[in-house]
Amino acid sequence: MNAISSTRALVIAAVAACCTGTFAAEHVVTQKAKAFSTKKLSLKVGDSIKFVNEDPFSHNVFSLSDAKSFDLGSYGQGGSKSIVFDKPGTVEVECAVHPDMKLIVEVQK
Amino acid sequence: MLRLGMAVLMALAGTSVPAADKPADKSADKSPQGAQGALLPRDSTDAAVFRGGLVYANYCVTCHGYNADGNGRAARLYNPKPANLRMSDKNDAYFGLIIRMGGEAMGRSQFMPPWGAELTDEQMKDLVSYLRSINMRPKE
Repeated sequence: MNAISSTRALVIAAVAACCTGTFAAEHVVTQKAKAFSTKKLSLKVGDSIKFVNEDPFSHNVFSLSDAKSFDLGSYGQGGSKSIVFDKPGTVEVECAVHPDMKLIVEVQK
Repeated sequence: MLRLGMAVLMALAGTSVPAADKPADKSADKSPQGAQGALLPRDSTDAAVFRGGLVYANYCVTCHGYNADGNGRAARLYNPKPANLRMSDKNDAYFGLIIRMGGEAMGRSQFMPPWGAELTDEQMKDLVSYLRSINMRPKE
């Protein structure tokens, strides 16, 4: 196999990996007016969510679900925190400061 | 809605409301409020404790628990676990500051959010009154 063939094979493998979802994706969920930008989100195991605070006050995203328990702590306007979802299942995401904020994350294999 | 219902139940169970202790003598009560039951004076300590209980039930129970002993449903996420507010040795000024500014600003847990932007001054003051009312630490 010459150099050109090797390069071509690598490119094809990389494209195939992208198309089949081998690489983890980052989903962005904003918090604005005391609400998540979406109420439900489906993603794959290994994907992450970046929570971006667009409110002029702090949010504190957490979850107590079996599939993923975490607390990202408080972060103010313009701040963001990320979390990787490493197990399949349903994750209910909440905000400790604003009890009415809810987001359901369906993590699929 | 469930949370609000629990808040009202907890506030009713956890606070004393002297005005409701005695059966209303409607024949003797000539005030306009008498028809609806006696109301606590807005500025009274009992009213502040009652309102503070509602604030507590809505915002604090997740971590500190319904009994304020630090065993809320989220407590398992933290080490050290949330403070046992019934046995706290902190004074009202400290309570007011950590509620307003959050734990990190006070050298405590970063997971205690700052509530200054979410609660009104009155709500924070009421919450301190409620916490004082349930504190069981023996006075030294």
